[in-house]
Order: sequence, then structure tokens, then C-alpha cells
Amino acid sequence: MTRLQIVLVRLALLVLMLGAWELLPRNGVVNPRLLPPLGDVLVMLADILGRPAVQEAILVTAAEVIVAFIIAVPVGAAVGVLIAENDYLGEIFKPLLFYVFSIPKSIFLPMFILIMGIGFQQKVAYAAFSTVFVVIMSATAAVESVRADHVLVARSYGATQMQVLTRVYVPSMMPFLLETLRISMIFNFTGVMIAEMYASRTGIGHLIANWGENFQMPQLFAGVILLAAVAIAFNETVRFLEARCSTWRT
Amino acid sequence: MQHVANLSASRAEPAPAAVAVEGVSHVYDGREGKVPALEDISMTVGAGRFVVIVGPSGCGKTSLLMMMAGLRRQTEGAILCAGRPILDPDPDRVGVVFQEASLFPWLTALDNIEFPLALRRAPREERRRRATEMLNLVGLQGFGARYPHELSGGMKQRVSIARGLVQDPPVLLMDEPFAALDEQTRMTMGHELLRIWSQTGKTVVFITHSLTEAVYLADEVLVMSARPGRIIDRILITLPRPRTYEMMATDVFGRLRDRIWQQIRKAA
Ligand SMILES: Nc1ncnc2c1ncn2[C@@H]1O[C@H](COP(=O)(O)OP(=O)(O)OP(=O)(O)O)[C@@H](O)[C@H]1O
Ligand SMILES: [Mg+2]
Repeated sequence: MTRLQIVLVRLALLVLMLGAWELLPRNGVVNPRLLPPLGDVLVMLADILGRPAVQEAILVTAAEVIVAFIIAVPVGAAVGVLIAENDYLGEIFKPLLFYVFSIPKSIFLPMFILIMGIGFQQKVAYAAFSTVFVVIMSATAAVESVRADHVLVARSYGATQMQVLTRVYVPSMMPFLLETLRISMIFNFTGVMIAEMYASRTGIGHLIANWGENFQMPQLFAGVILLAAVAIAFNETVRFLEARCSTWRT
Repeated sequence: MQHVANLSASRAEPAPAAVAVEGVSHVYDGREGKVPALEDISMTVGAGRFVVIVGPSGCGKTSLLMMMAGLRRQTEGAILCAGRPILDPDPDRVGVVFQEASLFPWLTALDNIEFPLALRRAPREERRRRATEMLNLVGLQGFGARYPHELSGGMKQRVSIARGLVQDPPVLLMDEPFAALDEQTRMTMGHELLRIWSQTGKTVVFITHSLTEAVYLADEVLVMSARPGRIIDRILITLPRPRTYEMMATDVFGRLRDRIWQQIRKAA
């Protein structure tokens, strides 16, 4: 199949799905109380975006996501680089980190709530916690991807430590760094949502949980579309940058 | 006239040393205890000479080359280049070409060649000019904008050689630079290297496992023993220059090749 054909098939599938979402509930094939028609959901989306309470919730969630991200990524990257570069630390901490990485982080949420309450801090702390391990793992892999012969070449031409870092490590790791950013944002966003839905008084996650409990389906689906759009937009932006870097990855 | 007289004299007896290795020994302190890799190596490489080092796998050829490049410090002895000891990498005195071309995949061919100059923050224009000169010298005019993955194995090694020469060091060290290439490309590259060598007048120290390559390229071949590496023979290659592919079929070529082979067999 050509590129164009693939795109057309994808578009067709999308139209088919959205069309089904619109038509099936309207014709009563699917219960519209459970799945409101797409048109109604979009109208509702426009409506809730205009509500001050929703706008405030969006700001709160955005702040939590950004702060948690800004904490988790540098901390995870620093730890990852440290255990990749230092054999001693690596031998000790790598297995431990792998163990913790494999545990679903959500089971720790009650502890975060006990210790920190249900405010901004708790959600940020929990999201950062659930993100930091994947950043550590990726950063370790990124450092280990730097080829020893590249470092040797740079040194043989008199590169200083700093130049080896900026001219070999950073460009070697760039594709990994972008991938790390993308994947850690997925973990981070999920962390914030779980924390907000589990116990919170604000945030989009809290609103979504509430709408679900009160059987307000149009609002619920409007929230889902909003979050999906934001998440996909971030992911695709980074993926676009990744693709531009990967020309030289081979 | 003076110049010519000097040149012909240098063919008869070794010219003043471009590289002098004086009683170098090396012991690796690895996981499995101490590994003696080199034992009392002494050798001199005259300016402008093409010296090839051969020896069984693991005898310490790469280790020796790394020490000449200042990338590793020997446990004993001294290595002098242009009369001064080599303690750290000094790209003004020594250029290095490795077995893998080791080009940076995120830089174009031209930017790869410029890399050593960029490290020294040479002015952009001078860098460009110099790198383009080198690109042409290695026969890659028009390929400067390509990325390494868009080049063949032979072309990559040409870029790597250009990078080694860009700072105009008097000495070029090469560690099995053509080992990863197919035989035809390898022959062409050897021939090309001789052209570049005679055009630039560099001193070359070249490691290889190919005896044919050794005889074809060298002024002299040094044979090393198995680990711990020592130099057990020095064979002068008296074939005239410029070398031609036809020479490979001659008796002299065969005899030289055979002598090296006998030495290596003894050494292993
Ligand atoms: N960093 C190191 N630590 C411990 N031992 C090493 C190290 N580097 C090399 N050696 C050992 O030193 C010896 C010489 O290695 P070297 O790479 O110099 O050999 P070589 O002659 O280049 O071999 P080849 O022909 O296979 O390239 C080998 O036995 C090798 O195992
Ligand atoms: Mg070697």
C-alpha cells in the first residue's frame, strides 16, 4: 500500500467510528443514556469549556502535571546517568530500581494521601513518584547507548570532558531523551489523573470521576475528549521531533 | 638538490624518528588479575616512513597504538613524538584512524572532518576551507553534505582518514582501518592511502592482519609475538614505489609475505 492509501484507510476508519458514535445512539441502537451521540458531546464540550469551575480545574491539573514533570524528569535523569556512569552505584541500585519499577505505583497512593493529604502537593508528589522510575530506566539506557568508540575519537582529538559531554553524549542521547520525555509524560499525566480521581476536590480528574458517579454522560465524554486531545497533541509533537532526529540514528 | 639527496639517503638508513618507543611495557589490571600485554617494546619510526605492525590477535597492537596516541598510559617506558613525550592526546602531533570509521552519525561528512577543528574553536571559514581540502584529498568531492549512513564502508573510512589529517599532524596512526571492508574495496583503499601518503608526506603507523596489505603498503613491517607482545622481527620491504597491483604477483612479494608469515607462526 502506498502512503496515501494508508492515510485514506485510517481516515475512513476514523470517520466510520465517529459516524457510528453519532448515529447509533441517535437511532436508539445504543442506549443514548450510556453513550450520548458525538454531536451532543461536542456541544457539551464547548459548554463546559466556558464554565469558570471547569476552567479553574484545567488550570489546577495543568499546574500539577507541569510541576510533577519538572521534578520527575531532571531527578530521574540525574539518577539514571549516575547509575549508568558509576559501575559501583549501578551494581547496587539497578536491580532495586528495576524491582520498584515493576510495581504498579497506584498501590502507594493511599500512603501519599495519609502523609500529604489530598491537596496539590500530594498529587504532584504521587505523579512525580510514578514517573521518576521510567525516567531513570530510560536515562540509563540513553547513557549506555553512547558508543565508546565515539568517546575515544573525541578524546583522541583532544576533547575536554565538557566537550565530550556536549559534543558526544548529548547528541548521541538526543533521540532517547525525546522518547523519554514522551513516555514519562504519559506516566506523569496518568499519575495526576489517578490521584485526582481517587481523592481530590479539584482538577479535571476529579470532575470526570464526579460526572461518572452522577451518571452525567455527556460531561464525562466531553472530559474524555478534552484529555485525549491534550495527551495526543503532546505525544505527537514530541514524536515529530523524534522523527527528525532519527534520520541519523542508524 | 639538497632535498633530493636527503630523500634518497632516508631510503638507505632510517631518517630521524617521528615516533620513538623506548622500553615500553604494559600490564593491564583487569578483573582476572594482572595481564602483561606488552613487554619491553622499543622501535623508531623515521619521518615520512610507512611502518606496518602485524602480530597474532591479542598481542597488544591496539594497546601500543593507543599509547602512541596518548589515549592510554603505559606502565613502563616512554613514547616520544617529534622528540617530546606523548602523555595525553595531542592532535597537533598525532592523528588517529580506527577500525570502525567511528563517524558521528549526527554530523555530515564535512562536519565530521571539521570536528577536530571545531574542538579547537577554529574560525568557521578556515574550518570549512580546510575540511573541503581534505574531502577532496580523499577523493570525496561532492559528498560533503551526506550523512554517514548515506556513505559506503569505503567512503566512511575515507572520511575518517580525512578527519585524521585535518589538523595536519606529522604522524597518522591507523588501527586495522580497512578490516571491515570487502577485499576489493580494501585493495582500492590501500592504493588510495599510498597516494594520500605520498601526497602529504606523513609518517604512518599501520596495524593490519593482512599480510598482503602489509607488504603492499609498508616500508618496513614489524612483527610482534603473542602476548605479552614483543617485537620479534623487522622486515624491510624493498619493493620500489609507487607500488602497483602487478607487484603482488612477483616472487619478491611472495617471499616477503612468506617471511612475515613464518615469523607470525613462530610468534603465535
Ligand atoms: N582494558 C583492558 N583491560 C584488561 N585487559 C585488556 C584491556 N584491553 C586489552 N586487554 C588485553 O590486552 C591484550 C592486548 O589487547 P589488544 O587489544 O592491544 O590486542 P591486539 O593486538 O590489538 O588484538 P587484535 O589483533 O585482536 O585487535 C589482550 O589480551 C586483551 O585481552
Ligand atoms: Mg586490535
